[in-house]
Amino acid sequence: MSKPCLLLVDDEARILRSLALLFRTQYEVLTTTDGVEALRWVRERIVHVVVSDQRMPGISGVDLLRQIRDHSPRTMRILLTGFADLEAVEASVNEGEIFRFLEKPWNAALLMQSVAQAAAIACAEFAETGARTVATVASARVLVLDEDPATAALMASILPSETPVTACTNVESALAHLGEADYGVIVAEIRHGSDDVIGALKLLKQASPGTLAIACSSLRDGRILIDLINQGQVFRFLPKPLGRELTRRAVMAGLERHALLRREPIRVRRHAVEAPREISLPGRVMDYFRRIRDQARQRA
Amino acid sequence: MNASPLPARHSVPTPDLSPDLTQLQQPVEPLTPRCTVQQAGERFREPRHAALLSLPVVERGKVLGCITRHDLLMRVYMHPYGRELHGRRSVATIMNADPVILPVNTPIEAAGKIIGARIRRPITEDFAIVDADGTYRGMGIVLDVLHALETRLGEHSRELERACRHLQSSQNQLIQSEKLATLGQLVAGLAHEINTPLGYVQNNVEMIRPLLQAAAEWVGAAQALMQIGEDAGLAVAEACVERMAEASQAFEPTLFRDIDVLLEDTLHGVTQMADLVGNLKDFSRIDQRRSDDVDLHGVIDAALRIGGHLLRKRQVDVRRHYGELPLVRCAPAQINQVLLNLITNAAQAIDHDKGVIAIRTQALGGYAMIAVHDNGRGIAPDVLPRIFEPFFTTKPTGQGTGLGLSICQQIIHAHGGRIAATSSAQAGTRFVVALPLGGRPPGSPA
Repeated sequence: MSKPCLLLVDDEARILRSLALLFRTQYEVLTTTDGVEALRWVRERIVHVVVSDQRMPGISGVDLLRQIRDHSPRTMRILLTGFADLEAVEASVNEGEIFRFLEKPWNAALLMQSVAQAAAIACAEFAETGARTVATVASARVLVLDEDPATAALMASILPSETPVTACTNVESALAHLGEADYGVIVAEIRHGSDDVIGALKLLKQASPGTLAIACSSLRDGRILIDLINQGQVFRFLPKPLGRELTRRAVMAGLERHALLRREPIRVRRHAVEAPREISLPGRVMDYFRRIRDQARQRA
Repeated sequence: MNASPLPARHSVPTPDLSPDLTQLQQPVEPLTPRCTVQQAGERFREPRHAALLSLPVVERGKVLGCITRHDLLMRVYMHPYGRELHGRRSVATIMNADPVILPVNTPIEAAGKIIGARIRRPITEDFAIVDADGTYRGMGIVLDVLHALETRLGEHSRELERACRHLQSSQNQLIQSEKLATLGQLVAGLAHEINTPLGYVQNNVEMIRPLLQAAAEWVGAAQALMQIGEDAGLAVAEACVERMAEASQAFEPTLFRDIDVLLEDTLHGVTQMADLVGNLKDFSRIDQRRSDDVDLHGVIDAALRIGGHLLRKRQVDVRRHYGELPLVRCAPAQINQVLLNLITNAAQAIDHDKGVIAIRTQALGGYAMIAVHDNGRGIAPDVLPRIFEPFFTTKPTGQGTGLGLSICQQIIHAHGGRIAATSSAQAGTRFVVALPLGGRPPGSPA
């Protein structure tokens, strides 16, 4: 078994040297300061994991990762950046669909663990033969968690009629719904009075990785989003007020992905998350999760 | 007829309401057409009409005309036999049948224009004031109109001045918020630039440490082997042992441990730099938009960290007395700016070595209160009322813009809050910021 291939992209050669030394024993490491060269490698050979900086001359990390995703969807994508502004964080979710968002100066152990996780997933996927076919969207369910009824109304008006939309206004009833049926997508407003929606989304991803989470909020906070990427594998982030077309596309992409995950359960691993930190949810809520987890095991 | 007072010379301006003639109206008992010229002259001699140039002639509420002192004098009293000729005739025979008559709701400026156009020099008559339906109300004195116009002009220019000041201060706030936005961008770039070297320095040091331990292990083993070689007097290994003995001199017994401590220090330094960059990021929050429910204590701590160098330089003892505060809806970067400004001012007001800045917080009457109290030199009583004025500064030219506190005030007001200061030379200065717990998101994003 040859080593998995790790591609490092950064405009600072010293970063590349430093990282290459960290990884060279376990991976076949490619390094480049040039986005074009990175793309060429991805086209010409199997690259299991790519770790890219965000701010680079010529091309941003998010743009590069999006193009890499188009060329080689199985390559796992990690962003490693000194500092990203809000737009970059949002774009990394919505366009780059990245696996992890890590910050410089990095914690070596955490970085190695993230890369190892990503490599394991990519190895399993590349080992599979058979081209990816675009799945037809089954009549999967959509759950909307928002105190504002307008969100669910908007979903009902933009989604096809065979897609059932369920609305709820608090975390507890959302969990009850998730325990009763298989939902393809959950659209959640991440700021609620006292509900820990963010914590719930993180736990949801651990319990039911096949459900795609779309976060929406009028609050746009990079820190919260980074957490949601790493611990909640949030699929999309939509700033409020919600645009019809953008929302429709995001939900449809989520339903498509969900269908794919159901046919090829191995892909669920792409949505593996870091263990969430300090989430305190009431005991009743935890019970729901246990139930969901048991059901998920039975289904598997 | 209700008596109206003379117009107050320093009336409170009502910018949206132009004053009319109501204020200028003098209640003057009119003459009737049946009055004789003689009686009109007597009426002019009464002290209550001393200020009037003309008297109105009114019948059934309608103004027929005005008789002026000037006409009386010129045509009757200064004329030989004038009194005999005119004295018993009706006043209507020598009155001005086309006097200036103005409705009471005529704005002062318009009245001034009409009077200027209608009244000839020398000024010999006043004007009559009537209701909307033409009913006589009283007389107006031309000079009063002039005074009122002057007052209005003064008000206008004061309003203009105020508007100009307001414009300047909002312009400056704009510049400041532009600066702040630029600062945010700058901090983002800076953070990225600093985090990159921090990234590889930290990583490199971390990679060297275990390797160094392995090397220490190796050297120890080699030295042991050398000892065995020496003890056994192995001729075969002699050259090798000598080489090792030579090389071994570079390694004192404690060297590896000391170097590891140095590397540990290096990592500590890197962590400190990373924290500093993190604080800068927290301060500018370019990764955040709009307002949020914020833990104000965290915001205060961030401002204290940013202002830390100044506080340390002046050896100020910072005491935090934090009460119970709920999360407050605000724009954290802006509140940060306010607190940093207050903390910096407090530190600069201290010019002795027993400086204390006490920061107290509590929830009170629907507001989150933050008090910043220093034991510095205090603010002079004549200066205190002016500290929030834009461009007001006690610092020498070029040192302060005089905008800091006015921007603070604008930010706090935009949040629906209040900011106030008390000060004395004995007790130092205490600024109190009150932010509504209900929260009113600022109208414009930071």
